[in-house]
Amino acid sequence: MDRVVLHYRPGSALRLSTLLQQTQRLLEPLALRPPPAFRPWFPCGAAHCRAIRPAKPPPHISPAGGVPTENQPGTTDRTQDAPCRVQLVAPGTGSGTEREVPAVRRSWSVSRQSGVQLQSRMSLSSRLRRLVSLHRLHLRQRAKWVITQQNCSNLDEAWRRLSRSVRRAGLPTCNANIQRERAEIWVFCDVLHCEQVGRHLKDELRLAGRIHLAVHRLGNIFSM
Amino acid sequence: MTTLTRQDLNFGQVVADILCEFLEVAIHLILYVREVYPSGIFQKRKKYNVPVQMSCHPELNQYIQDTLHCVKPLIEKNDAEKVVVVIMDKEHHPVERFVFEISQPPLLSISSDTLLSHVEQLLRAFILKISVCDAVLNNNPPGCSFTVLVHTRDAATRNMEKVQVIKDFPWIVADEQEVHMKEPRLIPLKSMTSDIVKMQLYVEERAQKT
Repeated sequence: MDRVVLHYRPGSALRLSTLLQQTQRLLEPLALRPPPAFRPWFPCGAAHCRAIRPAKPPPHISPAGGVPTENQPGTTDRTQDAPCRVQLVAPGTGSGTEREVPAVRRSWSVSRQSGVQLQSRMSLSSRLRRLVSLHRLHLRQRAKWVITQQNCSNLDEAWRRLSRSVRRAGLPTCNANIQRERAEIWVFCDVLHCEQVGRHLKDELRLAGRIHLAVHRLGNIFSM
Repeated sequence: MTTLTRQDLNFGQVVADILCEFLEVAIHLILYVREVYPSGIFQKRKKYNVPVQMSCHPELNQYIQDTLHCVKPLIEKNDAEKVVVVIMDKEHHPVERFVFEISQPPLLSISSDTLLSHVEQLLRAFILKISVCDAVLNNNPPGCSFTVLVHTRDAATRNMEKVQVIKDFPWIVADEQEVHMKEPRLIPLKSMTSDIVKMQLYVEERAQKT
């Protein structure tokens, strides 16, 4: 045991001896209670006779197949927008090395741009149409308008107006969030409607200067 | 405080509802923690006021729901002794078994407080233990799958009819190799005692996993 130093106020010898006794008692090791040995309540005897299981095996999901497709709280399901497919492999057909591949968070597969009519492209300006062709963008791909403090003096007021607009369905295919740390508002919409949304934002929120449109991986591609 | 028998208020159903809801959360979490499925199919959710991981894969979710839907009548009638989540290697030999032992008292002393807050707190502790159990378990070999076993109090064949509640989801008697593990390491995780149910969770881990 380490040395223990007791500081006390000088007084009677009796008081000192009491203090020493008390200290000694406190330094005594605590009584240890051995934990009870763990024992299963229902040990396996002829347990296999009483065990049942589903005949059907659970689905096998390859590491590349992790994409949610069902509507659940907290998940966005835009199957018509996002060309994603769940990759299911029948049990027993998966290759043995599948799990050696590092797990990826999501896997997007290429799909044809069949969901949007050609006429829809006509609603885009020639400049944006050129950019869409140049970058090979899908018209249902999500794009993001970024509103900064340079566009409006009061970001919270702009956010309130924007929320009203979204509620009134004035902004097609839009969802938005406010990034308070960055002092920015992000408005997401389909590329197809981005010009219409951008014009609406500028008018409705009375934005000053230019707002920029960004798409994933490419960054800013357009401004108005 | 009121004393009720199992027949009152269809109490078995209440217990089965609580336990099946808990088992659903627990199975999702075990599959995530033990990396049976890619982490990409899981999303963070909140249950019992703690973060949990839940699969977003519709087929897997349906499978777990169907399984528990069939297990529920057994728990309701107090016929289920153990619900075991078995993690198996490529050769279908168990490497880990998460054993939920369930015991229901014949007499119930309940109050609304007991049901709502105390049981939830106890179940939360199970979830927290599962979420950190990888610290005491060895890594599983690649390519693992899982199954859910239900150990019944009577012979399995007598309970077959009770579990066949979904037409396209048949149940069979488990093979001996799925149930037994050679000299497993026993890791107790959590036990609880409440007025409505007693439950204990431990893991049987195969000594040599690879």
